[in-house]
This record gives sequence, structure tokens and C-alpha cells, in this order.
Amino acid sequence: MQEDRVSIITTAGLTRRFGPITALDNLTLELPSAGVIGLVGPNGSGKSTLIRTLLGLIRPTDGTATVLGSPITSPAAYAARVGVLIESPAFSSGLSARANLVSIARLRRLPLARVDAVLTQVGLAGRDREPVKQFSLGMKQRLGIAAALLSDPELLILDEPTNGLDPAGIVEIRELLRDLGRNGRTVIVSSHQLSEIEAVCDHLVVIRFGKLIFSGPMAEMMKRTREHIDIAAEHDADMDRLQTALVADGWNVTAVDDILRVAASVTRAAELNRAAMASGVTLRRLELAQDNLEEIFLEMTGRVDGELASSRAAANGTVAA
Amino acid sequence: MIGAIRSELTRLGQPRLLITWFGLTALFAAMINTIMVTFLSGGGSMPPGAPGVAFPTLAQMESPSGLMSGLAAASSMFGIVTLSFWALATASDYSSGLIRLLVAAEPRRWRLLAAKAVALALVTAAATTVAAIFNVLVVLPAAGAAGLSTSAWGTDLVNVVGSAWLHLYIAMCVWGVIGLVIATLARSAAVAISIGVGYLLVVEGMVKMLKDVPSDWLLGTTLGAVASGGTAAISFGSALTLALGYVALGLVAAGVVYARRDVTD
Repeated sequence: MQEDRVSIITTAGLTRRFGPITALDNLTLELPSAGVIGLVGPNGSGKSTLIRTLLGLIRPTDGTATVLGSPITSPAAYAARVGVLIESPAFSSGLSARANLVSIARLRRLPLARVDAVLTQVGLAGRDREPVKQFSLGMKQRLGIAAALLSDPELLILDEPTNGLDPAGIVEIRELLRDLGRNGRTVIVSSHQLSEIEAVCDHLVVIRFGKLIFSGPMAEMMKRTREHIDIAAEHDADMDRLQTALVADGWNVTAVDDILRVAASVTRAAELNRAAMASGVTLRRLELAQDNLEEIFLEMTGRVDGELASSRAAANGTVAA
Repeated sequence: MIGAIRSELTRLGQPRLLITWFGLTALFAAMINTIMVTFLSGGGSMPPGAPGVAFPTLAQMESPSGLMSGLAAASSMFGIVTLSFWALATASDYSSGLIRLLVAAEPRRWRLLAAKAVALALVTAAATTVAAIFNVLVVLPAAGAAGLSTSAWGTDLVNVVGSAWLHLYIAMCVWGVIGLVIATLARSAAVAISIGVGYLLVVEGMVKMLKDVPSDWLLGTTLGAVASGGTAAISFGSALTLALGYVALGLVAAGVVYARRDVTD
């Protein structure tokens, strides 16, 4: 994906405070049009606040932003071109899936033929007469995506779109998002499922405590990956001895679950094996690996639950979200 | 705006909601007429009235307008039912999270609120019709069985039925707007219904007990006068003006809050 395209969303110094909590902290970013953009951050990082602010649901305390070229102070200028699934899908539970979509189509003044089109698109065509209250979470999620797709929007903002879906459903929705991105739509996906983000997104935005940590192509983010070698001793009782010996030998070793993770490139695998043997430990596992997005994400944002970190920071009087 | 109203009407078309709303309305219409006729049978007189209920006299009951007097007698009860369903329809947008989708789709929030009020007013017209139909269906056989004189009931029938319907409809809409306003401010149907019922049964009753305090301005009294087409204490015009004042005040407050408040639900 090229990064010199027109920006579909821009923010400049966007700030939103809720009492002592700063949910968005002087956030400045530009998101390219077309493609799938991942929005990630720990719990309470400000993702939902950012989405709500962009949609005109909440007003910023400070700063400016534009969506599809229009300022967020005039959301009516772009609302018809934006489809959204915000947090959990919300519907009138006593109504059928079809009636719920008809209601939204009427609000947006869309032809009712779009209802059938999106029901087919998300795989609910045969279940559309059933009351939503009988739907599983996965089916509600599909209906939420259908509602977001109703206006055939240029910009689609989806919060946890695969939440509640089974593996086959996740793959299906992933393909749908990819297709939308390839066909000129811009899809912003906010998710905790980093494997999903890694699999489907072209561009990534990482925020923490309302601040921008990273915004750029996914490929650029993945350049931050580091190679490592995972090893395990033949006998579990030898693991501590092996770690001590390798550290003494100058290796960078971290215990991760039931293995030792050695920060080293693939070219040093044989050397590592010899070092283990020299310490009198036989290896039953020696595996070359690379950090995935989750590892990089945890490295960037810390390994503490975001909301816990936020509450601690708020208690200490520091900025949090 | 038309699209927003049609959208709201689609959401209000939930069978359980409508059956409950219309069912309660029919039940109150049947109950009030049964009670009225029972008390008046054999030349008896009405009790002084319970909170929210204003019984007619025997002479009023046997007059041409007696056919529809049940509607005005229980107007506050109908009003509370209306308030409750307007409040439920309003607050459920918040409790379900639907408000996020609605505001994202139509950021001109005043349109959403106005459309909701118009759609609910349309359903209230149907509820008023249900009340009128059940009123007639119950009072005719009940009055006949109780020996009340019903010979005057056919006189000026269209005008009697039409004005009774219209007066009750206006009163119910004002009650409904009160429910919408409180639910918008509180974002809770339970709070709105509690305040509505509590006000009618407790606050208004207590104020009326205070001899030195005029009670004509009270909501229940005012809307009772509207539903009755005016009373000895307050004319229809005065009651209607006061009721519209309540509506305007409430809608301005709800509109400002609805338009400006962050959607964080």
C-alpha cells in the first residue's frame, strides 16, 4: 500500500479529557485512504474515544480533525459516507434482523434493496426473519457488519468485527474486509486480536494512554521484528542450569513459559547448540523464530493490562486513558 | 425527517411492545367503565375519586357525552401508560446502545428526537383509538345491565366521540412527551416511570391536600381538564395552553441535552 494517498482521516492535537482522565492526548495523525487500517492499543488506550470523536458522538476538548475532508464539527457532511460498528452490535432485540436493517436503511434514506444485498454479503440471508434476540453473538456481529455496510460506505469503521465469530466466520469476515480494502474502500479495524490485525491490515495505528505510539504501513512495523531462538533442555530440571550457563557465556536469555528465548539470529543456532552441550545440557528443542505483531505490540505498549495501568496512572496524577 | 420518522416507526413495530401498550390501554378502558357503572347502578353515587381518576356524576354519565366519559375519567391512568411507553422507547436507545448507531447515521440529533416524538405520537393515536373502542365496547353492555339511562348517548354521536378522542389524545401526547423528556434526561425508563407514577400518586396528591395552595396548574389536573374538554375549575383553552407550555419547556430541555450530550453509552 502506498502512503502518499489522500488522507481519509486527519487529526491535529486532538485531545479529550473526562475529568481527571485524558482519553486522547494531543493526538496528531493522518490515515491514508483505501486499504485496511488497524487501530490497536491496550484497554483504555483511547481507541473508542477516538472513534466516537471522529463520528461526532463526543466532542473533543481541544484540537481538530477531519473525516473524508470534512471537519468533525460537521459530522452530517460525511455521515452518509461512513459505516460503523461501534463496540458491540446494538439492535432492537424484538425485531427481526431484516426489520432492524430496514429501520437503519430508512434512517439513512437508502433503497431497501441494499438490505438484501448486505444480508447476503454477511451470510445472514436465510436467517433474516428471525428475531435478533435469538441470535448468537456471532450472528449479531454479522448483523452489525451488515448495518455498517448498508450505505456502501467509502469509510468503514469496525470495532472488534470478529468478536464472537467462530474460526470459519473469522476467515470469512477477514476476506470480506480484505476485499473491501482492495476495492477502494477504507476499512478501519479496531481490535485486540493482533493476529487478525497482522493478517488483514495494510496500515497500523498504535495508541497508548491516548498518545500516538506508531502510525505507518504494517510492513514498516514488522521491520521491528527481531529473530530469536527458542530452546528447551532435554530434562526440565536442567533449564535453570542451562539459562545460568548461557547468560554467563554472554547470551541474552529470557525464560518464556517452558522454554528459554535467546535473542540471536538464525546464523548463531549451531553456536548456541554447542554452548548448551558445553554446559552439559542436551537440547530437545531448538527452534528459530521471529517476533509477531503481538510481541512487538507488547514491547511497545508494555505487558501490563491497559486499564490497570490507566487506573494506576490516574491515581498517581499522571496522564492516562 | 420523513426517513427518520419511518425508521422510528419500524423500531416501534415490535409486536410485544404494541400488544402490551394497547393491552394496558384496553384494560384501563374496560376497568374504569366497569367501576363507574357499578358505582352508579341503582342511583348510587361515585366515590370522591382516587389519584389519577376523576369520576363523572350520574347526570354526566347519562348525558350524550356519558358514552365516552370513561376516557376522561381515567385520563391520568392512560397518561401514565403513555408516559411509560414513550420513556421505554426513548431510554431503550441508550440501554441497547442503539443510540451510537443512530447518531452516527444521523448526526443532526434534533431530527432523531423530533422523529421519535412524531412516531410515538402516531402510535399514541392508535392507542387512543384502542381506548375509545374498548370504552364503547364495555360501557354499552355494562350500562344496560346496570339500568342506567342511555337514551341520550346517540345524540351528536360523531362530535361526542371525536372530541373525546381528540381531548384524550392531546392529554396522552403531553404525558408521553413528559416521559420522553425525563427518559432523555435520565437515560433510564425505570427512572422516568418512577418519577411519573410517583409524581401522580404522591406529589400531586399531597399538593392537592394543601387547602391554601392552588392546584389547577398541576400536571395531572391540567391534563385531566384537557382530557375532559375543560372543567369547572379550568377551561379547556387554559388547560391546553398550560399543557403546551409544559411540552415546550420539556422539549427544549430534552432537545438541548440530547443534542449536546456526549454519546458514551
